[in-house]
Amino acid sequence: MRRTYLGEFEELVLLMIAILDGEAYGVTVSQEIEEHTGRIVTFGAIHNTLIRLEEKGFVKSELGGATAERGGRRKRLFKVTALGSRALTDIQELRNKLWKVMPENALNISEL
Amino acid sequence: MNAPTPPRWAQLLLHCFHPKNTLEEVEGDLDELYVYWYQRAGKFHAILRYIISVISILPPFVRKRHVNETYDQPFILNLDMFKNYVKIAWRNIVRQKAYSLLNISGLSVGMACSILILLWVQNELSYDRFNADADRLFRMTCDAGGFKAAVTPVGMAHGLQQQMPQIEASVRISKQAVSLFEAGEKKFEEKNVFFADSNFLQVFSYPLLKGDVTTALKNPNALLITQAIAEKYFGKEDAIGKIIRRNNNENFTVAGVLANAPSNSHLQFDFLIPLSNLARTDRDLITDTWGNFNFYTYFKLAKNVDVSDAGLTKMTKRIGEIYKAHGQIMKVDFVLQPLTAIHLHSDLQIDLPGHGNIQYVNIFFVVAIFILVVACINFMNLATARSERRAKEVGLRKVVGAGRYQLIFQFLGESLVFSFISLFIAILMVVVLLPVFKMLTEKELAIHVLDNKLWMSLIGIAVLTGLISGSYPALFLSGFAPVKVLKGKLRVAGANLVFRNGLVVAQFVVAIVLLVGTAVVYKQLNFIKSTNLGFDKSNLLYVHMTGEMWGKQQALKQSLTQNPLTENFSIISDLPTTLTTGTVDLEWAGQTKRNEVIVPSIDVDENFTSVFKTHLLAGRSFSRSFSSDSSNFVINEKAMQTMGMNLQNAVGQNITFGEQKGMIVGVVKDFHFKSLQYAVEPLILRLNKWGGKVIVRTQAGKNEATIAALEKINQELNSVYPLSYGFLDKDLDNLYRSEEQMGNIFNLFAGLAIFISCLGLYGLSAFMAEQRKKEIGVRKVLGATVTGVVALLSQDFLKLILIAIALASPISWYAMNRWLSDFAYQTSIDWWVFVLAGMLAASIALLTVSFQSIKAALMNPVKSLGAE
Repeated sequence: MRRTYLGEFEELVLLMIAILDGEAYGVTVSQEIEEHTGRIVTFGAIHNTLIRLEEKGFVKSELGGATAERGGRRKRLFKVTALGSRALTDIQELRNKLWKVMPENALNISEL
Repeated sequence: MNAPTPPRWAQLLLHCFHPKNTLEEVEGDLDELYVYWYQRAGKFHAILRYIISVISILPPFVRKRHVNETYDQPFILNLDMFKNYVKIAWRNIVRQKAYSLLNISGLSVGMACSILILLWVQNELSYDRFNADADRLFRMTCDAGGFKAAVTPVGMAHGLQQQMPQIEASVRISKQAVSLFEAGEKKFEEKNVFFADSNFLQVFSYPLLKGDVTTALKNPNALLITQAIAEKYFGKEDAIGKIIRRNNNENFTVAGVLANAPSNSHLQFDFLIPLSNLARTDRDLITDTWGNFNFYTYFKLAKNVDVSDAGLTKMTKRIGEIYKAHGQIMKVDFVLQPLTAIHLHSDLQIDLPGHGNIQYVNIFFVVAIFILVVACINFMNLATARSERRAKEVGLRKVVGAGRYQLIFQFLGESLVFSFISLFIAILMVVVLLPVFKMLTEKELAIHVLDNKLWMSLIGIAVLTGLISGSYPALFLSGFAPVKVLKGKLRVAGANLVFRNGLVVAQFVVAIVLLVGTAVVYKQLNFIKSTNLGFDKSNLLYVHMTGEMWGKQQALKQSLTQNPLTENFSIISDLPTTLTTGTVDLEWAGQTKRNEVIVPSIDVDENFTSVFKTHLLAGRSFSRSFSSDSSNFVINEKAMQTMGMNLQNAVGQNITFGEQKGMIVGVVKDFHFKSLQYAVEPLILRLNKWGGKVIVRTQAGKNEATIAALEKINQELNSVYPLSYGFLDKDLDNLYRSEEQMGNIFNLFAGLAIFISCLGLYGLSAFMAEQRKKEIGVRKVLGATVTGVVALLSQDFLKLILIAIALASPISWYAMNRWLSDFAYQTSIDWWVFVLAGMLAASIALLTVSFQSIKAALMNPVKSLGAE
């Protein structure tokens, strides 16, 4: 199977969507990223990434019900698809594998 | 406290330039984030981040969300849609009650007809198939130069079996031996009495309820009776071992009780007597004859025998060789007839009564299908005619995304709903009508509730009807273009009209063909009944000479002569309805080759010509004044021609017939001594020396008195036997019973076909009148008369009927000619038959249409025009 390339930021957003478990939309995702990584990202970056992830099939979205708090505007809620969760686990496994073959002191910079 | 709001101009910027399809969610998200930032970092910071965020999602930075062009197609049988279909179908049925009523009644009458006919057809086709070895059982029949008979010589069965290993077993059965049976007080004359070989029960699968199968027909002094007979003679007592007396001269023990012969068996027996009993007296059996054709012979072939046509031909050829090798000179071909073909494919003389006719089975099968088609056409016509009403629905469905297949499915589903409702009603109708239909066909028909095959075929009929009748409306309606429909531009297309008219024509073609068929069948029956048979058939009363009657013939003749009611009598061997004997042994002077035609004979007395009122062409009839007449002959014209004589030289010639040498003393004009299905055959009359039947020409209107007189004579001379008598003209009429039945059934179905067609026509005319309401209004305002309007509305339909008549005439002419070709004497198919059938169909159709057209014509134009 052809692997779709998952960029670093995309992976981060995808992980956030997974963590938020059904509560993921533009606001929560950007708040979580700020909180967990301390990175300040523009809303546009998140918006575009969400659209791109959906185009790639890693997430799916649907418009939630109208709420009073934002002037009756609906939220677009995102969920990780089967393909998306597979991509995340693949990456994780690959990393685990690589970490296992890593020589013990390879990362001990002070010994260089 | 009011929530902080971002700057208006930024919001406006976002609103104007952000892609529309993600605007709502983005605006919401940013509002929320603004509040979040505001609370965390203060107003300035919040505004700054807000503006940056807005810019980041304006073109060209924003990624556009692509609208997914291909919507998810819900499954075609989506439950919600299905519910909707059912709901709409139900609403349609309920809202248009008249229309639904027309449709359902047409369909259910059509289905009920077809079910009844199919039950009958199935019964006809099931004959003798209950035999376990039905595919290996064959009857040997003969064909002597075109004279085909079911009987064969009694000696052949064993002779052939010895020489042909293919024959595993053979059974011989006698012709019906009408006998008087007596047990205690009970005394009846029984018709279905047969002598049969002892292996009868092993070869055929007729269950023996009581008694031992292996010994059942072994004892010549014991017989088998059916359950019905056991009850008739012995009531509830056990019949086994009881004594039953036959013909007042022989006692039999009941050795076993058979189940009643199945109604779909060609052999209908009540009594079975071992053939070994008959062998004591019967000359054929004593001499083991190969020359006299008097018994039915059945063979059970071995398992591996090739029963294809080629295989059978090979076998019959071998039979022919063996027959010749046995020293027989008669030119005769033998045929092996499959047991299962006896009922429907027999066209044989001297056969057991009650055979069907495959032609009728085929005809009725086709009729059943046609009637169903006529009913389907109704449905199609009404549905397409009313399509405009549903066009809006179709348009709307398409607009909200219905695919063509969904619509087709919906409309087919609706017609299936109709057809299953109709099936239900049809089954009720069949249950109610079955007794009547049984009477009409004289068959044991029944619906077996547990018969899966029956239910499968019923459901099959319903599904087929639903699919056929729904197919056109479904394809037609689902093809509407939504824009046109919703704009109200839909006009019933010309092609649709042509199609609908074509269907109406088809319906009436079927109806008219059936009408012509009915007329021709009745005409032929009438022709047969009124044909001059060559003798006067009215008022001929016959009495079977049973018991001692022939022994006391002098006293009998004396008593008959003394009573003026019975004095006009004759004693003959066979009635013109039951003649079954004949021989090829005929020799005459100047004969060039052996006679190969079977020549039947009747033994008559001196009064024959005067009582039967036959016409003597030359010579004289038998007379008491010529003692040599006992060996002389009277012949018919056909026999004279067969022997190459003419009226001038025939009388006085010597011929040998059978074993009898004698002189021709008279030539009688041809008269019909068999069913009119056969042409007149040569006939030889001999002087009666052994009795048979007393025929009395009664005086008109004195039948009762004559019967009483005969009863008295019977009482005096032959008290043991009840008087058994009949009327010749009734028996003659009975010969054409199956034709008459066919006529009646045809009549019924022709009526129903017309009824169903008219139901459709009624609906269609109602629709047309409705559609042309405005036009009629305008016409009336401009001065059209009521008759003018009615004529206008009727003429469209009249045209269709005329086309139907033109099409139906040649079809029915051809079909009825085929049917008539079975008769040697046929009525003509006159032009007026077609005119009559056509006029009948046309007038019924016009009557139907007139209901609606008159209603439309009488309508006040103010009403029809005012509602704009």
